Amino acid sequence: MTQTDSAQPAPTHGRVRGALAWVTNRLGMEELMEDQFNRVVPIHATNYIYCFGGIAFILFLILAVTGIMMVVYYQPTPDAAYQSVVNISTNVAFGWWIRSIHKWAATGMVILVFVHMLRVFFTTAYKRPRELNWLSGVVLLGVTMAFGFTGYLLPWDQKAYWATRVGTDIAGSTPFIGHFLLVSLRGGENITGATLGRFFTLHVLVLPVVIVVFLGAHFFMIRRHGISGRL
Amino acid sequence: MTRGGFLKWLIGVLSAVALGGIVYPVVRFLKPPTASTATIGQVVNIGPVSSFPAGQLTAATVQGRPAIVTNVAGKIVVYSAICTHLGCVAAPSGSELHCPCHGSVFSATGTVIHGPATLPLPLYSAKVSGGSVLVGPVSFTRASYPTWYKGQFA
Repeated sequence: MTQTDSAQPAPTHGRVRGALAWVTNRLGMEELMEDQFNRVVPIHATNYIYCFGGIAFILFLILAVTGIMMVVYYQPTPDAAYQSVVNISTNVAFGWWIRSIHKWAATGMVILVFVHMLRVFFTTAYKRPRELNWLSGVVLLGVTMAFGFTGYLLPWDQKAYWATRVGTDIAGSTPFIGHFLLVSLRGGENITGATLGRFFTLHVLVLPVVIVVFLGAHFFMIRRHGISGRL
Repeated sequence: MTRGGFLKWLIGVLSAVALGGIVYPVVRFLKPPTASTATIGQVVNIGPVSSFPAGQLTAATVQGRPAIVTNVAGKIVVYSAICTHLGCVAAPSGSELHCPCHGSVFSATGTVIHGPATLPLPLYSAKVSGGSVLVGPVSFTRASYPTWYKGQFA
């Protein structure tokens, strides 16, 4: 798009475009929108390896939608958790589909976040002035892992129990604060309904807020810095 | 119709199909599955009494789950064929039921003859009405069944 084209007012024909133009105008956001939608992507960044972060974000959106849908039927109590998951998978219309998408998107997101990190590392995109974006990415990697770890317990089956047992035992082996971490995660010495409640709260309330805040920072910084230069 | 108009129309139709493919499952998902739970506890007619000869164990399907129908001197007793050990389907063998997975054996009334199963097979409420066998919901009062086992009937 040339300079003259982008300087023209947004087209007002058509209901949707008209409505969008009206909102943009009333919020005084024309310049901001202009800036955001007329960015030049450097030719070296059209390579597929620059897509991993974006794909990971799309998987996050899929996880958010399918996760919200499953909370409708999931019951985070030791008596009902397993049965409610069985209900989602066998009884609820398309429940097996939604749950499978959630499971595979979760697996895919962990892989893509990691591959995205490798891309940034090997293209040395973490260098000055982008150190803070690398650090926010480290937090996002940790949050993604924490999502996976807490979500793994929620079906409340044997695999969930033992994975959490092992995982929290590892946290318990931390020097000095190990025991504190262990009882904080488990809500006691053993894995009980308290553990399930804590992991559920982390998975659906705490971690989503943390990831949205850090994703916002991550995206703000990529816009602020622009895509890193060629190797 | 111009070529551009046709392409626009085609894109619109394809977008609507793609969107419908997402919206339809979501709406169906959010609709409570009342219809399917109602059929679980419903009273079903599994056929005339004459199809269950006296003194014989007959395999039947009740509410989509395998069951055994017995006719002892005209009294119809129906219990589940799902083994209480690990959920395999026990099959009639003479006057006993044998589970193919781990060799549990149940008597003609559904009690354990030998393990690994420890709990008797749960009974369905059943009665004869107008020459037909009517079977109602399964009852877990015969023993203290674990959650996974009750889940087989959910």
